[in-house]
Amino acid sequence: MSIYKLHYFNFRGRGELSRLVFAAAGQTFEDIRYERNEWPSNKSKMPLGQMPVLEFNGTQLPQSIPVARFLAKQFQLAGKDNLEQAKVDAVVDTIADLIVKYSPARWEPDETKKKALLKKIFAEDLDKHLQDLDVLRKLYGDGGPFFVGNHLTLADLYFYNTGQNLLQMDENSLNNYPWLKQNREEVEKQPKIAEYIKNRPEMPY
Amino acid sequence: MSTYKLYYFDGRGRAEISRLILAIAGQKFEDIRYQSNEWPSHKSEMPLDQMPVLEIDGMKLPQSMTIARFLARQFHLAGKDNLEQAKIEAVADTATDLLNKFGPIIWYQEEPEKKASISEFFANELPKHLHNLETLAKAYSNGGSFFVGNNLTFADLCVYDVLENILEVDANILNQYPWLKTNRDEVAKNTNIATYLINRSQTEF
Repeated sequence: MSIYKLHYFNFRGRGELSRLVFAAAGQTFEDIRYERNEWPSNKSKMPLGQMPVLEFNGTQLPQSIPVARFLAKQFQLAGKDNLEQAKVDAVVDTIADLIVKYSPARWEPDETKKKALLKKIFAEDLDKHLQDLDVLRKLYGDGGPFFVGNHLTLADLYFYNTGQNLLQMDENSLNNYPWLKQNREEVEKQPKIAEYIKNRPEMPY
Repeated sequence: MSTYKLYYFDGRGRAEISRLILAIAGQKFEDIRYQSNEWPSHKSEMPLDQMPVLEIDGMKLPQSMTIARFLARQFHLAGKDNLEQAKIEAVADTATDLLNKFGPIIWYQEEPEKKASISEFFANELPKHLHNLETLAKAYSNGGSFFVGNNLTFADLCVYDVLENILEVDANILNQYPWLKTNRDEVAKNTNIATYLINRSQTEF
């Protein structure tokens, strides 16, 4: 019986970051995945009627980023002291801003509107956030391939997953950001992450 | 002894939560406020061309909630262990969801859109977030008046700050939420907070 249970849908979405943290830490957990049609009957079991939810020691924790941050702290992937944790957080919050920017386009059901929105967002809005990430890694990264302090943290895992979404929408989106590309490759190379990616179900989102 | 400088506009906005934490901790800091016409000349001094920014011993940290969480941890308002921190962050993120919906309306929108957006927000957004806050309080408050574990924490300050903005527009929003009302009263009763609030200057936002 795992002491960690993660409840989420059977796709990457807002749950994958936590799954990546478990993978990086080599920590076993119950990876409870709901198909869409199973969700309505389970919704009321979750504190805020949403997922992901982490169950740990009898406590239910909602909110995807607090869950991921908790797990990162549990497994020493959150930054080694208060200040380093804050640097990791700053990168995480900046990635979250990036996601807010592209989400309307990503989830637009009308294909024509979607194409137009994607074009606009990639041309006008995303560069600021990608540049911001570059600024932060220069400030906090100690010259290495990771966002903060020369070791893998939650910040790298979050960008790894988010970068996958970006490249899916526009395969050229990281062409002007060689460090960001390299950072994703560095994450992928980690043996436990490589193993996890090889074995996880392939999901479009 | 660390030195703290907080850079923001002359208003509550996204910096007030950090000012509340510093106030309750009794921590001196430089409360730097730029008028809108001063801001352009200082913009490039900030890592991501945005505020608030916290400077700790010369190191600059962007992202309002990163700053707030860092200060909360520095001054022992963030929970006694990883799990308690996560509960507090779940509450804080729920409050921030509210601010992210309401803030842009009152800070950036003009009439007549503003009035319509506010109506829409009160009808369709606010109730579910208030309900979610009460749900989390029931789960984490150990039956007391504070959100997590019987002590005033970052969670209570976060909710206090966010709701202040909304109560300015409609003072009755908590009438159906007695626990939230009591929680608010308890925060305001804290000596350091009470003193801070009495002495704080009135600002436009």
